[in-house]
Amino acid sequence: MKAAPEVLIVDDNPADVTLAREALAGSAHHSRISSAGDGEEALAFLNRTGTYASMIRPDLIILDLNLPRKDGRAVLAAVKADPELRRIPVVIFSSSQLSRDISRCYELGANCYVSKPGNLNEFFLAVKSIEEFWIGFVSLPQRGE
Amino acid sequence: MSPTEVDILLVDDSQEDVALTLHALRSENLASRVFVAHDGEEALDFLFCSGPHSERSFDHPPKLVLLDLKMPKVDGLQVLKQIKGDARTRTIPVVLMTSSREERDMASGYDLGANSYLQKPVDFDEFRKMVKLLGLYWLVTNQAPVSNGKAQAAKQAQ
Amino acid sequence: MSSAGTKLETQSPAAPKAMLRALLVEDNKADAELILREMRKEGFEVSANVVQTAAEFRRRVKEESPDIILADYNMGEWRGVEALEILHSESLDIPVIIVTGALGDVTAVECIKQGATDYVLKDGLARLPQAIRRALREKQERSLRRQVEEDLAKKVDELARSNADLEQFAYVASHDLQEPLRMVAAYTQLLGERYKGKLDENADKFIGYASEGALRMQVLIQDLLAFSRVGRKEACESVDCNAVMKEVLQTLASGIRESGALVTCTELPVVWADRTQMAQVFQNLIGNAIKFRGKEPPVVSVRAEKQGQSWLFTVSDNGIGIAPEHVESIFVVFQRLHARTEYPGNGIGLAICKKIIERYGGKIWVESQPGQGSAFKFTLPGHEPEKQEQTHA
Repeated sequence: MKAAPEVLIVDDNPADVTLAREALAGSAHHSRISSAGDGEEALAFLNRTGTYASMIRPDLIILDLNLPRKDGRAVLAAVKADPELRRIPVVIFSSSQLSRDISRCYELGANCYVSKPGNLNEFFLAVKSIEEFWIGFVSLPQRGE
Repeated sequence: MSPTEVDILLVDDSQEDVALTLHALRSENLASRVFVAHDGEEALDFLFCSGPHSERSFDHPPKLVLLDLKMPKVDGLQVLKQIKGDARTRTIPVVLMTSSREERDMASGYDLGANSYLQKPVDFDEFRKMVKLLGLYWLVTNQAPVSNGKAQAAKQAQ
Repeated sequence: MSSAGTKLETQSPAAPKAMLRALLVEDNKADAELILREMRKEGFEVSANVVQTAAEFRRRVKEESPDIILADYNMGEWRGVEALEILHSESLDIPVIIVTGALGDVTAVECIKQGATDYVLKDGLARLPQAIRRALREKQERSLRRQVEEDLAKKVDELARSNADLEQFAYVASHDLQEPLRMVAAYTQLLGERYKGKLDENADKFIGYASEGALRMQVLIQDLLAFSRVGRKEACESVDCNAVMKEVLQTLASGIRESGALVTCTELPVVWADRTQMAQVFQNLIGNAIKFRGKEPPVVSVRAEKQGQSWLFTVSDNGIGIAPEHVESIFVVFQRLHARTEYPGNGIGLAICKKIIERYGGKIWVESQPGQGSAFKFTLPGHEPEKQEQTHA
């Protein structure tokens, strides 16, 4: 991966998006973070439609579940059903710990599921681990395939 | 180790790589719940509770399958296809770990639904580091799904 | 109408004047009159209707809801027991007395079996009023009992619903509160870290208080959630308390090490409970014993004695003790006896223990004096109720 990694965070809570940015601020990977506040915006971004025509496809999607307009599960399903998008790893990052939510996401094709910790330090650690694993170690398909 | 307590199913035909992987997992205290299958056929028997593993049940899947690609009898992509193609096993996280650097393999892996794809580093230390991080990420950071058998039952009860 | 010289005297020594609506099934007018006369003689004020067919009977009984039915046994096509069938099919509970000419013993028993309250022979009508009184009394008792049962069922229903509402509320409140609270806790902490020393002198202190408050609230809400969850019906099983103790001691290992505590226990029994909840009880009690210690290292002992079909557990310590006026209130949710700076904690541990123990029908209490340690005691049933005979020493 020569160019800077691109990460799309989909979360309707700007406070959580800011926290995630803070967590990754000092990272050696220098990921570029974009964000979308609801499901429809996320899909427009990924499909590069309308105002998002010039966006770069992300290398990683960090996806919250409870979003307005189109919820996280619908976004997940749409991404994994689209041959152009489905290779992009989707990490579900949600406050829900309900086992039926977790199972459902795996069934829809989520690559993994991380619960948002309530404690600040653990939150930072979780976000950093996500970036470390998916950007640092995992081999991702070439962008734009 | 009882059949219900396997956290990681390690599928690899290389003795060396298996030893290295177990060593790295042990240093994080994750190795006691690893089951090693040396080829694809054994892996499938384990996951589908058949053959020598018919005492296993679908209610206790491993939290992670570490799957090599190039193996005799049934190769990694075949195994992956079967796992992701069956409702009883589809949600088990599968991480492909291979020495292959072929773009094609990676594309196929993701297309078939692999949860992630890792290229085994050539360097010993790098390899160990990767396995450690892998183990921690998938067993600690990640939330594995509830067994599909139970999930199906729960769905019906709603 | 009385003729001169005769005085009509109604002799009714024990019978009160009672208004009675009777329904007679009788085709012989004379017999019907005899029956009514006998009743009036004994003080009943009777208003009666007489019917002769099953259809008429069914109609009257539905329309008028008589207090008592007097039916002949043998009347053309009618058999006295038909009355009982008709009443049953209309779900009416009205006493039936068979009043008949001749009745074999077998038939008599049959009638009673079918539901007739009594039978009286036409040439023994003197028995009738007594039979009627008894029938009415029994009916009254039945109705009363039914009413009481209905009331009870309704109350139980209301209580169950109210409990469910409360649990739902506690769960939703705790759950929905956690999100915004997470924001406050995270950002006050971040503020504290990023701007330490960079704002005026009070800023660090103010931000610190806010941050601590938020963190404490997070723990409180998690505790509340835990407390509300104790209400759920957990599956019971045979739980070996010795194994549970082992796990609990492992969980408390660092606390035990740091305080230099000595925890001993005698052989503990197998009880019928939920394993996780038993662990919670032991963990809370032993944890408290260690936490509320005096100057010396804590010495905690756990033992169990059989008391009839139950077990009495005691967790005693050499800690700071509790004043007698507080022994009840410490079991109340969030009730704390000490400042947070003296001893940490939210005051929910004992409330949870109490809730758990009481769910199993046990009791929990403490015997203590300030400065003389405490003995927390609780009772638990030994085995699944039906398996009492299998107790082994």
